[in-house]
Amino acid sequence: MKEIAIDLGIPHHDLVSCVSCGLCLPHCPTYRVTQEESASPRGRIALMKHAESSGFIDQEFVGFMDACIQCRGCETACPAGVEFGSMMEATREALATQTSYQPWWRRLGYRTLGRPTVLAFASRVLSLLQRIKVVPKKLGLPQIPIIQRRLLASGTDVWLFTGCIMDAWMRDTHRAVQRVVEATGAGVQFPNKAAACCGALHVHAGLGDEARILAEKTMTAFPGSAPILVDSAGCGAQLKDYGHLLGTELAEKFSRRVFDVHEWLAERLDKLPKSQEPRGRVAVQDPCHLRHVQKSHQAVYQVLAHFTEPLGLDDEGLCCGAGGAYSAFHQETASQVRDRKIESIKRAGAPEVASANPGCLLHLRSAGVEVRHPLEIIDSIMTKDG
Amino acid sequence: MQISPDGNLLDDLRSVLGDRVRDGDFELGLYGKDGSVLEGRPSLVCLPVNTDEVRQIVKICREHDRPFLARGSGTGLAGGAVPVGDPVIIATAKMNQILEVDLENRIAWVEPGVLNLDLTKELTPQGFHFAPDPSSQQVCSIGGNVANNSGGPHCLAYGVTSAHVAAIEVVLPDGSVTLLGDLAAEPPGYDLRGLFVGSEGTMGVATKVAVRLTPNPPAVRTLLLDFPDVRDGAATVSAIIAAGLIPAALEMMDKRAIEIVEAFVNAGYPTEADAVLLVELDGLPGGVEHGVEVVRSVAERHQVGNIRVAADNEERELLWKGRKNAFGAVARIKPDYYLHDTVVPRGKLVEVLEKVYKIADAYDLIAVNVFHAGDGNLHPILAYDSDEKGVLERVHAAGRAIVTASIEAGGVLSGEHGIGLEKRDYMGMLFSAHDMATQDLVREAFDPEGFANPLKVLPSGSRCSDSFGQHVPDGAWV
Ligand SMILES: Cc1cc2nc3c(=O)[nH]c(=O)nc-3n(C[C@H](O)[C@H](O)[C@H](O)COP(=O)(O)OP(=O)(O)OC[C@H]3O[C@@H](n4cnc5c(N)ncnc54)[C@H](O)[C@@H]3O)c2cc1C
Ligand code: SF4
Ligand code: SF4
Repeated sequence: MKEIAIDLGIPHHDLVSCVSCGLCLPHCPTYRVTQEESASPRGRIALMKHAESSGFIDQEFVGFMDACIQCRGCETACPAGVEFGSMMEATREALATQTSYQPWWRRLGYRTLGRPTVLAFASRVLSLLQRIKVVPKKLGLPQIPIIQRRLLASGTDVWLFTGCIMDAWMRDTHRAVQRVVEATGAGVQFPNKAAACCGALHVHAGLGDEARILAEKTMTAFPGSAPILVDSAGCGAQLKDYGHLLGTELAEKFSRRVFDVHEWLAERLDKLPKSQEPRGRVAVQDPCHLRHVQKSHQAVYQVLAHFTEPLGLDDEGLCCGAGGAYSAFHQETASQVRDRKIESIKRAGAPEVASANPGCLLHLRSAGVEVRHPLEIIDSIMTKDG
Repeated sequence: MQISPDGNLLDDLRSVLGDRVRDGDFELGLYGKDGSVLEGRPSLVCLPVNTDEVRQIVKICREHDRPFLARGSGTGLAGGAVPVGDPVIIATAKMNQILEVDLENRIAWVEPGVLNLDLTKELTPQGFHFAPDPSSQQVCSIGGNVANNSGGPHCLAYGVTSAHVAAIEVVLPDGSVTLLGDLAAEPPGYDLRGLFVGSEGTMGVATKVAVRLTPNPPAVRTLLLDFPDVRDGAATVSAIIAAGLIPAALEMMDKRAIEIVEAFVNAGYPTEADAVLLVELDGLPGGVEHGVEVVRSVAERHQVGNIRVAADNEERELLWKGRKNAFGAVARIKPDYYLHDTVVPRGKLVEVLEKVYKIADAYDLIAVNVFHAGDGNLHPILAYDSDEKGVLERVHAAGRAIVTASIEAGGVLSGEHGIGLEKRDYMGMLFSAHDMATQDLVREAFDPEGFANPLKVLPSGSRCSDSFGQHVPDGAWV
């Protein structure tokens, strides 16, 4: 196979931190569905080592790396504290800058995310296509509104980050989140267009430069010191990582202001009305970027428990297969991974399912699972109760 | 240099397995390692999905005069799954179906690639589990457990894998398929099943296993005892057993291990203690409560510090999570570790432990001890950084000294991890040439030409001719 020269730029210390014990294998979604060493965290790290020591890769290597969902389930499982996520990000960035890993059309797609006007236009076209019923149902897209009502600020106590796709396609979720936050007595404000996209998908794709530009821009949209609440686990993880991504004090300070909205609410439960009995049971799908990256998934249960009876799944936080853009580029693996999740959801046997990440929501919905954002569930309980 | 597989071998295997034969440069490297520090390189990797494919792979390998090597999850710690002699790897990971669960007869038929904990999780709601629980249980395969006759913390009371395997379907090295053992309690004739369990892949490939199911105990209590002095901890171990109690599990960790484990699990392990014992009692509620009292009074006679009893299943699982992740967590202090697995008489635990610390000091290495104290199964871990110059020589010398000390104390070479490649050349420390030649005759009865996992377990030269003429490659150490 054709050899391609490469320098992954991963610190040696990180590469050798894996002792190849294999304890991460069952917690890796791609290993679970393939049972192949090359689709496991241990295998991927060994591949990176091989690439670093030889200075060469081949097309097969690129495929193995591209097949990782970047869910970071392996990090939670690893007793040795291996920082897999940053190694994979470095690898992707090296591939994107030193090889033809990201073709122009993919780059163009990612660029759209940071351009609100282009994204709004594209979404409107999509919405029209939906209305004449030429968009296949199995894509799981929500009904995209043709005309978007604006989000209206109610104060300056907290910011609510709105994001790219979520704002274009699921703005009603933001509205529900806003109502729940306001129920604690806080006023909510929204960023301007500079905060168009957090850049998470760009980091995953290895487009580090684009991600850094988006990060710099996003930060300008949140002046002051009010907390920045995020209702998308993926975006929250990314905003919290700006300190690391940009390596500046300003970015560090910014990241410290970021909270997943459930984290923030969990501290203020006493300010929320209590729900009426009986409480409905809700199966909770933990988004990887909440459980394995932000490590704050417990907050979702705390908030839900105030109104419902939340139930954890029995798969120890195994990924659902969404992985940002992953489900679009790796449909087969993504749907096999999703099948496992659906089985687990069925075993929980609850009438309602919650997920705090838009990517997971869309991916699960496209398989016919009725899933809502936890705060949409709470919002509707509050509206009913109130 | 590797002998490159001749084109026919590849083509022949492809005609059976299609793209489930792998020969890519990067991918082959992934099947050269297991959980030990050894590394080799296979000539090809096959990923069969059923017995018939395994049979055909073995047949084709024979036709091409090529050895083969079964691999489970690659967590072995003795290099058993590390390829030497250019074998074709038969990876069983895709053979991962639980075929039949027969609760009435308490038997489950499973494929070899089923993960140990997956089986137990499947059985738990039905009130049963698979008793052998190696610390690697979340990932190691039933086939690997059988091949290594693996143990685990709960094997103190329940016995190791061999006690939980009723029958095995095996593809023998000559390519025939046979059933060893019987579902009957006392099958007549030689116990060939017992011979296969622990044979480390040298007698063929297990393709189906009938495992015995153990009912979940009605009551369980887990205690964490901490001791200001490791000696008192060790004395407590002997005293508990002497008091006539066989706990389900009786594990010990020394100070360094406690610190490392606590950093990973945050379970409240007492980092200021010199040693802790993790004791689990199970059975009928009355007996368990009595056991707790016995442990308590024995420990109090041995200067125990705190006695913590897990309040619920969640706390119990957290404590076990710490124990079961201890080896991997060692990487938090140094990137590499070399783990030994010797058994010493319980009464000699303290003496050998002290020697281990002395040996580590003498070779300027860090020793960490987490082990199955109840059966005297020591797991001294030497933590090191392979980038340090000359460190490997020191690690090997220290390892040898530890093995020697254990044997001198009346112990044996391996408790549960097997001999594999790692301890192969130590066999002579325990067995005479005559013993080894006899063992080799047994192996020859299954595999006269040495096709199955060659060059493992018995030192080359144990038998008259060594069919592949290779020794442990010096460069095999990482
Ligand atoms: C963190 C950690 C903790 C561990 N704790 C324990 C412990 O508490 N107790 C314990 O006993 N061990 C322990 N081990 C060692 C190891 O997990 C066990 O030996 C395990 O049974 C190996 O299973 P595997 O599927 O990974 O086998 P592999 O490593 O893949 O193979 C092991 C051996 O089995 C042979 N083999 C595999 N499958 C088959 C088959 N189908 N037919 C024939 N031969 C086969 C291979 O050829 C090889 O010789 C631990 C390892 C790690 C990394
Ligand atoms: S990443 Fe961690 S858990 Fe996985 S093999 Fe390496 S050390 Fe073990
Ligand atoms: S990030 Fe997820 S998909 Fe990638 S290796 Fe880790 S567990 Fe597997």
